[in-house]
Amino acid sequence: MPISAGSAPEVRPFGPLRGSAADAARSLVASARLAWAIEGNWAEPIYLAAFLIVRPLAFLGLFLTVLSIGGTLNVATIGFVVMGQAVFQIVSAALEGPTHALLDDRERYRTIRYIFATPSSLLPVSIGRSLVKASIAGFSALIVIGAGVLLGVPMRAGGPDLLLLMAVLPLGLLSVVGLGIVLGGVCVQLRNDAWAYPQAVSSTVFLLCGAIFPLEVLPGPVQGISAALPITWWIEGLRRALLGTTSPGILGSMPTKELLLILAAGTVIIWLLSPRLFVAGIDRAREKGYLDRNTAS
Amino acid sequence: MGSSVVGAEATALISRIHEETSWSLGRRFRHAFVSVVARAYPRVIGAAREPSWLFFDLVFPILGMCSIVFLLRSRGVDEAWIASTILATALLSFWISVVWMMGAQFHWERDSGNLLLYITAPVGLGAIALGMAIGGALGVVIRAVIITVAGVLLFGAKYQVADPFLLALVIFAGVAAMYSLGVCLSSIFLISGREADHLGSLLNEPMQLLGGVYAPVRSMGTVGVVALGILPLAPAIDALRQVAVPQLAATGILPVGVELLILLVMTIVFGVIGRLLLAHIERIGRSGGKLLARAD
Repeated sequence: MPISAGSAPEVRPFGPLRGSAADAARSLVASARLAWAIEGNWAEPIYLAAFLIVRPLAFLGLFLTVLSIGGTLNVATIGFVVMGQAVFQIVSAALEGPTHALLDDRERYRTIRYIFATPSSLLPVSIGRSLVKASIAGFSALIVIGAGVLLGVPMRAGGPDLLLLMAVLPLGLLSVVGLGIVLGGVCVQLRNDAWAYPQAVSSTVFLLCGAIFPLEVLPGPVQGISAALPITWWIEGLRRALLGTTSPGILGSMPTKELLLILAAGTVIIWLLSPRLFVAGIDRAREKGYLDRNTAS
Repeated sequence: MGSSVVGAEATALISRIHEETSWSLGRRFRHAFVSVVARAYPRVIGAAREPSWLFFDLVFPILGMCSIVFLLRSRGVDEAWIASTILATALLSFWISVVWMMGAQFHWERDSGNLLLYITAPVGLGAIALGMAIGGALGVVIRAVIITVAGVLLFGAKYQVADPFLLALVIFAGVAAMYSLGVCLSSIFLISGREADHLGSLLNEPMQLLGGVYAPVRSMGTVGVVALGILPLAPAIDALRQVAVPQLAATGILPVGVELLILLVMTIVFGVIGRLLLAHIERIGRSGGKLLARAD
């Protein structure tokens, strides 16, 4: 039977950004559901809840016991650490999520090749996986904030600043997911220790972003790097929205409007670059044959 | 149809089989020793061939150490606590090795297919685990030294060790107790299946908190006292702090001698439990046919 030109299937360009916006949206939703099945289904719900509660609280306890060496803690100091620690749960999950999702698909489940064989695209798949990981970490963040409230941390009088929260939360989340995407594109090309790089970046960011101590404690030149990180301003914005207080030092001296402007500018720059860098990374990995290897690391 | 073995030939064959399979105690020890060395070898030599492993083994603890030091400095505490933090980070590198390179090792070996090779080889899992422990500990020594030197150079920490032999004894006892616990963990991780990675995560920060790694175990109250009896990190770091940073000796919860005794008891008890657990997983692995082979 002859095949007419009108019935020929649509030819899609190959690469991580192929497909229509609808395909991308479907991919994102499907990958998010898959991520939930993977992340939320590895244990009985009681164990999962325990894991999501115990580890962040232990982290918080660790920092608070260290702080208590310097004398009795006031609630402002506890609030500073609680908020930084809570937000960083999300930051580390979003930073590490895309890389771990890509490497899991490549080496553990060995499904990355099948994604290329479907109309899906790796970019929305990675974003979907990252967002779910960040959302699950958000539960841990709420637990940490709840623990802070139990410890007597005063929240903002009259409730959270919802306008500020609605502006800061998506901007910060987008910025860390964007950075996570870039890391994924880089790490999928690495031969050794690809799993470890996102954690190294995350640990470095934790040190730099003023999550648990004021930036002034860091050496002078390092403070400049800290100020250039959108995550630093995200944490500060959330402190203002939820606690109603500002951090000590240069972070606290920044007016909220300027803080929002810096955060928005950082997020826009990240999203102008991150899809391109991700695509370039995946294309190179495909050319070199890295998408089908097992580093056994 | 094959020819049957009868008479003197059969007797000779039986005696040969007996000779080859009924090993003397000395031969068993020699064989176990060779097995231990063979398993320890890649832990020391193999690790040295992968500079990226060394890099990451150093980067994570040093970044963590910097966070704690900056946190302490933000509170203006005595510099002795900075020295203590550096030592704690060095000791922690052994604990991380225990969790991931002992605890999770059989789980990973199962997934990579090596565990079946261990079972089919004429080597006991006990010798394999001991080799992993000794090789792991030797491999981490150099990392712990680098972390300590880096900490001293970065933050100017000072130590006053009056009795280097006691210091070495505390470190040795602490490391032995930790790796002895690691043998137990290797079986537990293997049985825990896909929850193993999360189990490993749970043994990091929560144990650092319970073990009083960065702050005195005393600050944990009753929980801290219990930790002293079951978690090697707790007596090890408490004793280390008393011996190497005399300004903090008053923060010690027990005398160093008692803590050494606790560590010795832990080494023996965890070693015996670990041996029993290894025999258990080997038994259920062989009978069930699932535990020792990868799922796919």
